[in-house]
Amino acid sequence: MTTVIPGSRLRRGFDFLPYALVAPLTLFIVCLALIPALFTIVESFFRVNPLDPPDAFIGFGNFEALFANDAITSSMVNTAIYLVIGVALSTVFAIIFAVVLQKRFFGRSILIAILILPWALPGVVEGIVWSSIWDSNSGLLNSVLTSLHLIDHYLVFLGQNQLSTIFGIELVQVWQITPLSTLLILASLQNIPADIYEAADLDGSSPWATFRRITLPLARPGITIAMVQAIIATLNVFDQPYVLNGSASTGVSLTMETYFISFQNLNFGEGYALSLVITLITLLASFLVLKLVYRPVEF
Amino acid sequence: MRLKRNHVRAGALVAGVAAVSLLAAGCSSSAAGGSSQTKGVTITVALFGAPPPKASLAAFTKSTGITVKWSTIDWDSLQTKIAAASTSNTYFADATDVDWSRVGQEGKLGWFVPMEKYIDTKALAADMPQLSSFTYQAKVVGIPFDSSYLVTTVNKSQFAKAGITTMPTTIADYTKDLQTIKSKGVSQTPLNIPFAAAEGLSTYWYETTEAFGGTILNAKDEPQFTSPDSAGYKAAQWMVDAIKSGLVPAGNINVSDSQGQQTLMAKGVVASTFGDYSGNVGSLYDVPASSSVAKQVEYIPTPGVDGTAANVSNPDGIGILKTAKYPAAAAKFIEWFTTAQNQADFAGVNGPSKVMPGYFLPSRLSGLSKLTASGDLVGGDELSTLLKTSKPVFPDGAPVWYPQFSSAVYTNLHAAATGSMTVDAAIKAIAAAADSLAKK
Repeated sequence: MTTVIPGSRLRRGFDFLPYALVAPLTLFIVCLALIPALFTIVESFFRVNPLDPPDAFIGFGNFEALFANDAITSSMVNTAIYLVIGVALSTVFAIIFAVVLQKRFFGRSILIAILILPWALPGVVEGIVWSSIWDSNSGLLNSVLTSLHLIDHYLVFLGQNQLSTIFGIELVQVWQITPLSTLLILASLQNIPADIYEAADLDGSSPWATFRRITLPLARPGITIAMVQAIIATLNVFDQPYVLNGSASTGVSLTMETYFISFQNLNFGEGYALSLVITLITLLASFLVLKLVYRPVEF
Repeated sequence: MRLKRNHVRAGALVAGVAAVSLLAAGCSSSAAGGSSQTKGVTITVALFGAPPPKASLAAFTKSTGITVKWSTIDWDSLQTKIAAASTSNTYFADATDVDWSRVGQEGKLGWFVPMEKYIDTKALAADMPQLSSFTYQAKVVGIPFDSSYLVTTVNKSQFAKAGITTMPTTIADYTKDLQTIKSKGVSQTPLNIPFAAAEGLSTYWYETTEAFGGTILNAKDEPQFTSPDSAGYKAAQWMVDAIKSGLVPAGNINVSDSQGQQTLMAKGVVASTFGDYSGNVGSLYDVPASSSVAKQVEYIPTPGVDGTAANVSNPDGIGILKTAKYPAAAAKFIEWFTTAQNQADFAGVNGPSKVMPGYFLPSRLSGLSKLTASGDLVGGDELSTLLKTSKPVFPDGAPVWYPQFSSAVYTNLHAAATGSMTVDAAIKAIAAAADSLAKK
């Protein structure tokens, strides 16, 4: 025998409430993310240049032009260096900070609030702040090094050499993205049950061994998410190199090139194609990290 | 309980409808047709500087019935918005910035309404020497609202300390004087050249090329700087030699034009800027809050090969976007905004209450004369003389591909300054870029 509960879904028919509730967000995402993304994919196969009309399907023409462009290949190398330095340093710093913040101590909340500050600042503001540190004519770093008698003349940190320029710029971005990475890893660390650490203590595990064999493996989900967000940030670095190093080839990133191609040269077709390339590289790098770093953790 | 549930449902419905509206609004593009209405309308003016004083705008509204909504947007973002709005045929502003360097591109693309439609531009030409910089194929794309041109500034106090009392009139004398200042220890690095890979480096090179007696491109847009005897080549060599010989601070490879003016020239680190902004003496160097060299810096006629040279103009213009909602009202605003009286007021002739913050100098000779006559303009006589002889970088209008050309100029000159390429290689790369762009 089947009993019908008064007011049940069956009796009321189709319940549109859940759909209506998610509709705003869904439409927001569709309109502002999916449709532009789809548009970018389609248009990347077209010549779209108001200075060279009409728009026409050219297959992989935009992609071929991009890879034949020395400026693009140079910016790809730069971006790869940004990626390696940024992801490595931000992850290492974030793990250290998260471990320090794992245990409760006096002033911990204030420390976390201070730590978050760089994350809240816009990239352009950070670039301007750091330019007064790196400045080769009157910068803080040169001034400190001179005061300490470590150098006898001011050094040029940015613009002279590709590696040192990218390192200097990427440090600024690391300063920005490390807070979020720290919070993500800290969230993972706080899920680790205290009794695991107590057991390790009882077994006479050294702090280093505990960190290597308990903390790190159990923090992998958080580390993975932190690394993925660092990948996305470094592959899209724009503000810091633009403010600190202008358009010099020593530091130009792929997103800067996208901007130049699209809004300076008005070659929107190639701009779309380069955006797509960046997206694909981001997906590939994120997938690699997921495969190599992520391991499911259950307590 | 039922009532509460009904409220939730009603709320959800409203949210759903709002989302559909968002979809409709966000996913559609619409360009206004452009109304000829001028009374009782509100126009949006988007420029990179602060607005004129509220009282001035209110007076404009009272006399015309047009309300102005001023939107301050930084220069780079403004160019992006102009391109994005124009290519997508979407309204963004009624009147906005027309940069001299984008006149070719924007003129060809027809993004701006030709000003002749609303304003008697021929009558303006005599009073606005820089109007030609805003002309593309005989059509005026925008009206210059201020007159920025490159000038040479010197710290006379430092020159005097080095025993130099007569200001140089040739490049050779100028270079010798800077070397004297360095050798006497008055300044270790007496010259400011902004070698950061940015537009300021390109314009500095154009000014130096003009001083060496040449031009960048001819009427057919062919490079005029490839021969080692050419002015452009010599200018590039002179600039790079200056940083290599220590006349320019080594750190200047990452210093932009305004940065160098504020942190080097205004602080007395350098003794001269060859391609400085007109108006900087009064608005920056003589302002004790931002300068340690007040009353020490002056304009001098730009040293050239055999005597003083012309100055290249770098003015800011304002035009009416094709996608404007109220083009006729925008034209009335531009007419008002560029009157000689307003320009003089914005520059400070009638007291601080009428000053438009960040305003350079009047683009009208009559406006500049009013300013000079009032005695409020530091170096006014020199600036008036220099404005009369200022020339556009490209007499036939900036080429359509100027942004790419400029990018080639500053990236290669920057590379030459860092030592990663020779001047010869840089010049060849710039010329190759120009040739390739012209062929396209």
